[in-house]
Amino acid sequence: MTTLLSLFGILLKILGAIIIAFLGVVIGLYYKGIDRKIAARMQARVGPPIRQPFMDFFKLMIKENIVPQNAVSWIFNGAPIMALVSSITILFYLPVGNIPPLLSGYGDIVLIIYLLTLPAIGMVVGGFSSGSPYANVGAQREMVMMMSYELPLVTVVVALGWKLSQVYPHLNVFSLAVLNAHPIWGLVGPLGFIGAILLFITLAAVTPGELSKVPFDAPEAETELAGGILVEYSGRNLALFGLTDAVKTIVMISLTVTLFFPYNISHLLALSGVLAFIVDVLFFLVKVFLVMFIEVTFIRVAVARLKIDQVSFAYWIPVSIIGLLGLILIVLDTNIV
Amino acid sequence: MNKKTYSIPIGPVHPSLEEPMTFNFEIYGERIEKVNLAPGDNHRGIEFMGRQRNPIQIIYLAERICGICSASHPFAFCQAVENAAGIEVPERGQYIRVIIAELERIHSHILWAGIAGHELGFDSVLYISWRAREEVLDLLEYLTGNRINYGIFMIGGVRRDISEEQIPRIRKTLEYYKDIYGKLEDIFLKDPTIALRTKNVGVLTKEEALNLCAVGPTTRASGIKKDVRQDQPYSAYADLDVKAITPDVLTGEVNGDVYDRIIVRLLEVVQSIQIIEQCLENIPSGDIIAEKKLVKLLNQLKKAKGEGIGRHEAPRGEVFHYVKLAEAEVPEVWKARAPTYNNLMPWAPMLLGEQIADIPIVIASIDPCIACMDRVTILNKANGQKEVLTKKDLHDLSVQKTRRIAP
Amino acid sequence: MEYIKPEKIIELFKEKFNGSVTNNKIETKTAGLKKNSYSLIWLEIELKDFKEAVKFLCTIQFPHFAIISDNDTGEEIKLTYHFSIYYGERFKEISLNLATSLPKNNLKIPSITDLIPGAQTSEREIKEMMGVTFEELPDLPNVFLPIDFTKGVYPLRKDEKGVYPLSKNGKHIGGNITDKEEEVKKVE
Repeated sequence: MTTLLSLFGILLKILGAIIIAFLGVVIGLYYKGIDRKIAARMQARVGPPIRQPFMDFFKLMIKENIVPQNAVSWIFNGAPIMALVSSITILFYLPVGNIPPLLSGYGDIVLIIYLLTLPAIGMVVGGFSSGSPYANVGAQREMVMMMSYELPLVTVVVALGWKLSQVYPHLNVFSLAVLNAHPIWGLVGPLGFIGAILLFITLAAVTPGELSKVPFDAPEAETELAGGILVEYSGRNLALFGLTDAVKTIVMISLTVTLFFPYNISHLLALSGVLAFIVDVLFFLVKVFLVMFIEVTFIRVAVARLKIDQVSFAYWIPVSIIGLLGLILIVLDTNIV
Repeated sequence: MNKKTYSIPIGPVHPSLEEPMTFNFEIYGERIEKVNLAPGDNHRGIEFMGRQRNPIQIIYLAERICGICSASHPFAFCQAVENAAGIEVPERGQYIRVIIAELERIHSHILWAGIAGHELGFDSVLYISWRAREEVLDLLEYLTGNRINYGIFMIGGVRRDISEEQIPRIRKTLEYYKDIYGKLEDIFLKDPTIALRTKNVGVLTKEEALNLCAVGPTTRASGIKKDVRQDQPYSAYADLDVKAITPDVLTGEVNGDVYDRIIVRLLEVVQSIQIIEQCLENIPSGDIIAEKKLVKLLNQLKKAKGEGIGRHEAPRGEVFHYVKLAEAEVPEVWKARAPTYNNLMPWAPMLLGEQIADIPIVIASIDPCIACMDRVTILNKANGQKEVLTKKDLHDLSVQKTRRIAP
Repeated sequence: MEYIKPEKIIELFKEKFNGSVTNNKIETKTAGLKKNSYSLIWLEIELKDFKEAVKFLCTIQFPHFAIISDNDTGEEIKLTYHFSIYYGERFKEISLNLATSLPKNNLKIPSITDLIPGAQTSEREIKEMMGVTFEELPDLPNVFLPIDFTKGVYPLRKDEKGVYPLSKNGKHIGGNITDKEEEVKKVE
């Protein structure tokens, strides 16, 4: 009987995984379309229809998949799959509204940070194996970027976890469900509040880097490297990288939402059951949209691309200092109170 | 330490280049160690074609050397022919020429501003400045009938007059650019990311600019006060007070970097507006062309003998045309020199030691016009013999290709 | 820097290269309503003194070099170097056009790139378009013509070394193309 139950549980999880992966991809592509449309309107042009990313995807899927002659073909073809799978996996660890993550209990935010590097590593591997000088330069830049933004990203996570562990010593503080249930803003005093704002700024600065968006799109830099890492990719492989980008955007933004804005509105409206579920999911999507607008769309239309040394400098010095300052303020806040 | 460099080709086709041109870079890490320029991908033999045509036909050929300088080349060419044949342009014609040339400068500089934004990864600037450029293109269409390739220049004057009713429309456009100039200045001179990407990048020192004979905004940004409109005022510029603009006008110092080139170009937009306003105030009445009947003009040119040069300060620098007439239907010599031709050599000192990321903006910073610089010879590579194809060969080849595409 | 009048410049040249200056002319042009004027100098100098003349010009003021224009006159190739001096001040600039003729049987001229490095592009253009050898100019690949362009064909020449002129009346001036068309006919 227990084996049957656990088998049923596993089946349920697999079903959930398929649904979440599908929804993640579809929502990711739609959000990409919305991002492009809004950016276009901010740049005083009409812009593509919102379903354009879908059209791009389907078009690329029917196109020929070309592997360059001097590329290592199995790595070249494997890299996009690895990137897509790892970014979809993160979706299973993310809580939506007050629905616990699908794989809650099997991993925590530290695992997510590792998983987040995987798509980037996939791109680096693909870039190096494609045998083009542009892709090589792009891959080198991507590695430098990864090394640059990890420190501020980890600072944010550690600061939040540490604060939680001070308040709730018995909880698994790095679990996303716990982080989701206890927003940082309610736990800190005025000093810590400023610290939390600084941490949010740090995460907001890391997001465009993680997603390779202007001003931190040096690895793909269109006008310099003609697409950089992706220069040799075409057809199915390029479509998969396109999906990766869409899913990664959702993942990074959801992470920000989970860490800083995990609030729901269903209890305010005194709803329950299915209705509360729907309202919370919709509210979550609205939050994701707002955060995406600030962290991705707005930044990318408002600034120029930075050079790779400037990117490294920006992450290592100013952004890290802001992050560490946030950490220190939160520590001070806890110890003074 | 043994430096291991690798090579990156930029061009002939590359997103950062608007026109075909090849650069071969030797890169160490991200730093440029060696540059090798290989132009010629856009050479159309226009000078050769021109030597088979009569001067009036050449005006239209010169106009099509480049789409952006389509007032500059005919301007310089007409001056060269007028100097060679001793034709005097009526004053009103001179003023109209200057108005068109300055409108072209506004349109070219704003176009460049957009491209520079795009090269920096700042696409919003591209869209916004190109939108602003539409206004002057509309005005040019209103005045000449065409957005580009205006077809208004003629030996001895211009082909179309600017009437009294058209002047308010010109003033409206000038007001528009005065309004928008503040925004452009905000975007380019006050944006921190643009400053980060352009300051101390692609530096050309004054000595290098002198030695390598740079022209236009490139040389002025390095602190050399060289502007044909100021040094050797031709046409209506002789009446107007034009001063060469160097970046120290605004910042008090000259660095010769990309940022300084931006300053020079932005200030020149303002200068152009002022020049057009002065022209509109002082424009005299009278004829616009020395000889209205083209047949008569052609006969006059057929009998003319002599040589002349025409110089015009195009948006990118000095355009130079040399014409020699020898009592024949076609000129004996026609030599066209576009500004990019002289700005080719300064690329090397600008690019050396910079990063890969700087390549697009440094290349764009001289506002290259490859079409202008390269002015067809087709090779037969079958049987290892490289020969010049004849007209018949070309015709046969194109017939074959047509059959292949549409059997 | 002292401003020397155009007449004086010609005198200086004549003094320095006595007999070598074969032709000289000053043109004064006026423009605009106010009829302000500027000057152009046309000088023609023998080949043996050409390099010295450019050197001498550099002592007056470092000139701005525009371009070399080429002219195939039949027996000779006439190269005109277009310089300008006294730039930077209103109406002061003088265009100085320094011409020299090269006999067809010995098309050699000293390079001026050691004095004015910016002349390199133009010298390379003349080299590939007219077949003039510039002494001391490094042997660099073609600027404008394809690297594998036929050796011995110079597109802007008007003699048998030029290319087929696509003129309206189809008159052949170049020699090699006529042969080519006959070959084409044979093949057909």
